[in-house]
Amino acid sequence: MAAVPRPGRWLRAGGREGLIRLLSERPLFLLLLLAIIVVVNAALVPYFLTLGNLLSLTAYAVEIGLLALGEVVVIITGAGAIDLSVGSMVSFASMVFGLLLTRGHVPLGLGIALTLGFGVLMGSVNGLFVTVFRFPALIVTLATLYAYASVPLVLTNTVPISNLPSGLYRLTGSLAGVPTQVVVVFIPVVLVLGFVLHATVLGRYVYSIGINELAARFAAVPVRWTRFAAFCLSGLLAGLTAVVTTSRFASARPDAGMGMELQAITIAVLGGASIAGGSGTVAGVVLATLLVTVMDNAMNVAGLQSTWQLGALGALLIGSALLNQLVRQRFGTRRGRVG
Amino acid sequence: MQSSDLGWEGRRPLIPTARPWRALLESREFTIFAFLLALSVALSLRYPQFRTQPNLADVLLNVSQLAIVGIGMTMVILTAGIDVSVGSALGVCAVVVGDLLIGTHAAVVAVVGGVMAGVVIGLTNGLLVALGRVHSIIITLAMLNILRLVGFALLHGNWLTGIPSDLSALGNGTVLGVPIAWWLAMGLGGLATYFLRSRPSGRHLYAIGGDVEAARLAGVRVTRLTVFVYALTGALAGLAAAVFVGQQGQVQTNAGSGFELQVIAAVVIGGTSILGGKGSVVGTVLGALLVGVIRNALVVAHVPALFEGLVLGALIIVAIGLDLLHRRRGH
Repeated sequence: MAAVPRPGRWLRAGGREGLIRLLSERPLFLLLLLAIIVVVNAALVPYFLTLGNLLSLTAYAVEIGLLALGEVVVIITGAGAIDLSVGSMVSFASMVFGLLLTRGHVPLGLGIALTLGFGVLMGSVNGLFVTVFRFPALIVTLATLYAYASVPLVLTNTVPISNLPSGLYRLTGSLAGVPTQVVVVFIPVVLVLGFVLHATVLGRYVYSIGINELAARFAAVPVRWTRFAAFCLSGLLAGLTAVVTTSRFASARPDAGMGMELQAITIAVLGGASIAGGSGTVAGVVLATLLVTVMDNAMNVAGLQSTWQLGALGALLIGSALLNQLVRQRFGTRRGRVG
Repeated sequence: MQSSDLGWEGRRPLIPTARPWRALLESREFTIFAFLLALSVALSLRYPQFRTQPNLADVLLNVSQLAIVGIGMTMVILTAGIDVSVGSALGVCAVVVGDLLIGTHAAVVAVVGGVMAGVVIGLTNGLLVALGRVHSIIITLAMLNILRLVGFALLHGNWLTGIPSDLSALGNGTVLGVPIAWWLAMGLGGLATYFLRSRPSGRHLYAIGGDVEAARLAGVRVTRLTVFVYALTGALAGLAAAVFVGQQGQVQTNAGSGFELQVIAAVVIGGTSILGGKGSVVGTVLGALLVGVIRNALVVAHVPALFEGLVLGALIIVAIGLDLLHRRRGH
């Protein structure tokens, strides 16, 4: 299991073996990669290494980071579990949030709570089909990817909703120079999820059903409930992402989450999650999020549009998936071929 | 329907059924056909413009593109894989076809060029899936975005217009009142059905989807066949791109986006199991017809086109539900 760290061992090995060991220590490898990209950026862009610029970058990391955290938990539960619908859930939840605040005249706090609840509802629909009706997650979330994307477009005939209450924008202000959403949303979510996933029984359930579902069932692990909860968590974090992104853009956009599934899946896989399940860590996801954010920023500075960023993410996804496979073949048990 | 009830899960009853007509009536293909017929009759009665010749020809032309790519997608899904990059692949191939037409005015060169571009794309998918041993959804999701970038770069962000009409026969020409592209799709469908039912390699695709390790141990060349099905799907996307260019006469920057959903919907509705090892091209062609008629129904009924994703998504879920229900009843 990739979650078990073996610090320092790769140092003694040396040579080609040492390189592959380094690749298997995912957080360390990501840190190294991040350092390289930061140094390259700093050399090319004079103001890159200023504290203000680095802190403002983290604001962009929050949204894709939240989605990737939900995605990684779903992928860890294994049995081909994946959530392709995260981006569309963000779009749908954004429009629901916007409509609640403007046409529904709902107070801000209640609006946020209802939006999070709506996210859980969308996630539970995915989870219901996957766990109760035992549909393959791939096709269920592919269907909801298009279904959830279609409804918000119809709701206002593709027009974004603005004129939101000004109190909302405090969420994406700044606290002592740090973007507010990093402090009040991202860091708490990372800490709570990291604790639950790596230090509680529920977290062990998540890994155990991904590593060996049959063994987990014999050990009285509630397999279906755990996987169902993972899909609900993915929906919850998509709802939270919708709130943050609506605040940051000062408008609820019906295409707010378009293409975000690629970012979420790329970050999860780059962070060490294997589609076969059972591997992936919160630390890996956080580092991978920073990596993707800095890469996106570099492409922005170079004047390349979002099509380029998505294309580059695609290449990064293939590269990291091949890397995971290489590491697993070298160190892990070969758990079923995928096709 | 040999290939649909003779899956490799080994669920065929030991004693052949005494009432073959009943097997036919219960087959997925018959269900879709009946539903398609009922839907078409209802649409013709409610919306007279549905049954006009230009509208029906338009539906058939769109269905031809779905069916052509659907043939390849059926084989990919039979091996328990998936290819979500076909929409972007069609977009890139359409740019290649359009550019070649502008450069050479030769329809044959353009079609061959489009198919070759598709083969390159498909080979990339297939080699990464088969040799990299990474799940096909990861590879093809990444390729979907990479290919969109390639198409965008080839077009420099502008629509490709002013394409000569050398390919319009493939797009708009008819033989016996039926679009040429439809005859093409039927011919390819016939070939694919023969391949899947009667050729050893075709049967091996079912074996791979049923149990890949068992197939490997039985001597099936899993890697080679996996690469082949993705390359074939790419080639067919190139061919569909030629039909697309012939029909549209221009290539938009977002050409083919969302096409992958229609193709996957057609295949899944046609009874091909997403788990692999079960399905037929006949079902896929009927599924493509159903998807085409339903999309046209949205147009003639003036339902906003934005609803299409919701409708196709719901259809996929219903189709999978029927499939799983069927399996659990022990058929």
